[in-house]
Amino acid sequence: MSIFSCNQIHKSYQTGCLKHTRKKALTDVSFQVKQREVFGIIGLNGAGKSTILKIFMAFVKPDKGTVSINDQPVASKGSHQSIGYLPEHPSLYPHLSIKEHLQFGCRVAGLSAQEEKKRIQTALETVDLTEVAKMPIRGFSKGMTQRAALAYTILLKPEILILDEPMSGLDPLGRQLVLDIIQEYHDRGATILFCSHILTDVERICDRIGIMHQGQLVSVVTADSLDKDYVSTSTKGSQTPLEHYFLNTVRTEIS
Amino acid sequence: MNSILPIAVITFKEGLRRRVLYGVMVASLLLILFAVLISGLFMRDILKVMVDICLSSISLGGLLVPFFLAINLLAGDIENRTIYTLLARNISRSSYILGKFLGLAMLTGIIIIILMIATLVAIYCATLIYPAHNFLHFTLSPLFISTLMAFLGVLVLNSTVLLWCSVTTSSFLATLLTLSTYIIGHSVEDVVRFMNLKNTGVEISPMIQATAKAVLYIFPNLAAFDLKQQAAYSLPFVSQEITLLGLYGLSYISIMLFLAIFFFKRRDLP
Ligand SMILES: Nc1ncnc2c1ncn2[C@@H]1O[C@H](COP(=O)(O)OP(=O)(O)O)[C@@H](O)[C@H]1O
Ligand SMILES: [Mg+2]
Repeated sequence: MSIFSCNQIHKSYQTGCLKHTRKKALTDVSFQVKQREVFGIIGLNGAGKSTILKIFMAFVKPDKGTVSINDQPVASKGSHQSIGYLPEHPSLYPHLSIKEHLQFGCRVAGLSAQEEKKRIQTALETVDLTEVAKMPIRGFSKGMTQRAALAYTILLKPEILILDEPMSGLDPLGRQLVLDIIQEYHDRGATILFCSHILTDVERICDRIGIMHQGQLVSVVTADSLDKDYVSTSTKGSQTPLEHYFLNTVRTEIS
Repeated sequence: MNSILPIAVITFKEGLRRRVLYGVMVASLLLILFAVLISGLFMRDILKVMVDICLSSISLGGLLVPFFLAINLLAGDIENRTIYTLLARNISRSSYILGKFLGLAMLTGIIIIILMIATLVAIYCATLIYPAHNFLHFTLSPLFISTLMAFLGVLVLNSTVLLWCSVTTSSFLATLLTLSTYIIGHSVEDVVRFMNLKNTGVEISPMIQATAKAVLYIFPNLAAFDLKQQAAYSLPFVSQEITLLGLYGLSYISIMLFLAIFFFKRRDLP
């Protein structure tokens, strides 16, 4: 069974208010992600990674094509029941504390007061923000905001995670934290779709990797085949297998 | 649907912490002082002047919400993508709109309640200072009814803000549209009344008349919710008229929310 599935999706954004010029963001993208799989999308800036994730969250509607999560079309009721989404530039309410955000998340889910307390405590401990739980978000640094948003994302222990550049803005400690969380969810059997342009991070945690270039999904490889391939063909010591493969793929696309 | 209340609460909290309430507190204290002092200059009409000033301040305070908070909270949500935080929680877009409306209504309510209390304190102070015969005809109900209608008028304007924010992408445009709604809503009734006068000596083309009528029906008739004069002169309210006005306000709000949801569901939030 595939958790994420998209079929021949096209998307262009309208740019300009009066002139109906459009900017192509995605062209004919199709892929599936099976249950318990970690699927990473990599690509240069503007390749269309975030757009795919937003289409899965139903924030953006594709011009053409079908998108489903858990075999339900996205936008339908209940298709986002158990998803944790981390936006690219997470923005929380500046005058509210992280605790109030988490409380909101629990209340919307209809949790009991006891359960709420437990979940909030766990989430705060996971991202190490217990000390600043009551501080307004506007006093947070970029990294702290990213962690706060991460706590909000994993608050309800979702079975599906959609993470848009989860490591951006984090120090080495924070990055390790994100990697640990992803690993933990992977071990627990969650399905994870995420994108990044930091190849080394992707390499360590993904089962399969999709490479995007100018709105197209140009290649999908499994992490295992990548290693074998690399050992047999490459002699360049300074690049990791994924870097080698990615650069080759993108270079052939450009030329 | 059970997410409407949490959204309202989070909107209410965020709105309160933007320090608007402090401003309202200061303004209401000034209002008490001003109304008490200045009404002394109008020896015959002390009560009338006081009620007039107080009710003006109440509707002005209420207008803080659509103009300063609502646009900020709504368009800001979309511009800064804070809305992802909410919608990622399996919250439907209709719950989002309704929750936001409820939160803004709560903010409007709390501001108006504070100003109402200030008004009552002001009138009480005035009875201590000025001769008692000025206050013989004073009754509370006109004050309450006109405040309630002012509240409803602000809610109507709030609902148009929701519509404007769900069709535009910029807070600047939303502010402009809300301002236009406010101005048109306050003047259109007068314009139509003027055109209906037979002996003005001005020829008005049927086209313009038709347009003005259409505008009257499309834009909210905000002037109708302004019952200051009636309250100030202690004119009796006709309960039928008040009921009708209430129904008008509520139906207008429903239509605006319906349209806001309709457009909001169809738009991209990139
Ligand atoms: N709101 C928007 N309006 C217009 N164009 C957009 C918008 N969002 C993204 N784009 C364009 O769509 C393309 C893909 O963007 P995005 O999915 O954000 O890329 P990535 O996340 O891979 O960096 C880019 O060329 C970008 O300029
Ligand atoms: Mg991106």
